[in-house]
Amino acid sequence: MVTTEEGGGKGAPSPEFRDAWDARDSFETPGEEEPKAVIKADRISFFYGAFQALRNISLEIMADEVTAFIGPSGCGKSTFLKLLNRMHDFVPGARLAGEVLVSGQSVYGPDADPVDIRRRVGMVFQRPNPFPKSIYDNICYGPRLVGVRKKAELDVVVERALRAAALWDDVKDVLTKSALELSGGQQQRVCIARALALEPDILLMDEPTSALDPIATSKVEDWIRSSGMTIVIVTHNMQQAARISDRTAFFYMGELVEFGPTLELFTSPRERRTENYITGRFG
Amino acid sequence: MFLTGYGKAARKRRDRLATVVIASLAGFVLLVLASLMTYIFVQGVSAVSWEFLSEFPRHAMTEGGIFPAIVGTVYLAVGSMCISIPLGFGAAIYLAEYAKPGALVSAVRLGVANLAGVPSVVFGLFGLSLFVTTFGFGRSLLSGCLTLGLLTLPTVTAAAEEAIRQTPASFREAALALGASRWQAVRQVILPAALPGMLTGGILALGRAAGETAPISLTSATAYSPALPDSPFNEAMALTTHIYNLATNGSDIAATRPQQFGTSLVLVTLVLGLSLFALVIRARLRRSRRW
Repeated sequence: MVTTEEGGGKGAPSPEFRDAWDARDSFETPGEEEPKAVIKADRISFFYGAFQALRNISLEIMADEVTAFIGPSGCGKSTFLKLLNRMHDFVPGARLAGEVLVSGQSVYGPDADPVDIRRRVGMVFQRPNPFPKSIYDNICYGPRLVGVRKKAELDVVVERALRAAALWDDVKDVLTKSALELSGGQQQRVCIARALALEPDILLMDEPTSALDPIATSKVEDWIRSSGMTIVIVTHNMQQAARISDRTAFFYMGELVEFGPTLELFTSPRERRTENYITGRFG
Repeated sequence: MFLTGYGKAARKRRDRLATVVIASLAGFVLLVLASLMTYIFVQGVSAVSWEFLSEFPRHAMTEGGIFPAIVGTVYLAVGSMCISIPLGFGAAIYLAEYAKPGALVSAVRLGVANLAGVPSVVFGLFGLSLFVTTFGFGRSLLSGCLTLGLLTLPTVTAAAEEAIRQTPASFREAALALGASRWQAVRQVILPAALPGMLTGGILALGRAAGETAPISLTSATAYSPALPDSPFNEAMALTTHIYNLATNGSDIAATRPQQFGTSLVLVTLVLGLSLFALVIRARLRRSRRW
């Protein structure tokens, strides 16, 4: 967390940001090609009972990019993430206004099928949450739900998913071991592989490294940077956003304050509140 | 800090006193339990033998064994679980996973809690009038199992609901996020994780059912039976009612004292054994998972 008391003036990024940004190697900046919006959120407001958690948020997520949501605790960034794949459906009293489109299809429209949406928009959670089953059965959970039954097909799916999550070499000989026996970082990558096994179009990640140690964190970050997927990641760690994201959205008290290319947002924020946050004046 | 030493001696003294009081109270409870068990053991062990466990009673129950009572108790306990486990698990799944908070759910939960506090003789009377008389099942194993099933239902439901609630919410989230329907998440992820805890509750309820006297003496128990029951509509002997009969209206109450304690010893061993079994299962499962 940035704790600089006297952040630079407007346009001067903190040294922490510089370090984080410099750590990126040959990482494209967005906008070189015409980016294509794959998620469009239009005037979203969200309520838990009488409490309004999100205020009139419109936002577009670009295909094949990493988009980071940052902001202080309770700012609504996780709430917004979870509504992209309807994870609030079973929360009593949750209510949404506005529209979300994923690949042009309505997420909350009358014809929308939440199960289908969750298969196309995968999710990785804050704490690694593998099922108390073998690594193999964890990865197979999603494919089995959609009816893949043959062992040979599942074997292919498991290997592909674990390779995609950069975990294959670590676990290929212990696939029948309980996933709970792995280290925290490996467990989180099992969860990533489990989500990837369904070949989702988009992967949502809700503070995926906050329960991990630095080494495990850097492995997950490496994976995110090299995946080439459309990823939306919530993080409370600004350096992490700087290290891995193409675009960053800053949420504050249920509002989307600022959204733009990561370099711009961190080096020349347009909004006073953004600047105060990234320079550590509040958090 | 200048306040650190203030009142330190008094605090230490009070702390020591509290420790002594609490420890001696715990010791007293343990002592009561131990003397009860020892008394039953000493009084009953002379009566217990292989013949005692495997033979029918003879000479107006002054001699012979308690085999039919053991069988009857096992039938009643297992039969009542066949009723309370499906009903209780179903209710628990509904309460923990499906029910939206509201008046109905509060009413159901209040009902479950109150049902657990109803004295067992009231259940017996209820079973007598509903199953024995109204449904015409007569005094029978079936009536006894149904009555005990209702009696243990709140215990089974509450334990199962608790076990389901203790499974991490993250399992449910993970399953839903992978495109599972609600029922798929419950059946494939939540129930397998909660099952050990649910079964532990079931086993404890089984012990309770085996130890009940009033409900079965009103609905299914017979003082003496020359043969094992061969249908659910037969009456059956049971350990608890056997003790009660020998001790209150047997043909020679004083002479059968050893049998009374011997039967008690068998019953207590059975119930404690079941509780221990449940504890062992729980301990093993606690070790084998780490969430």
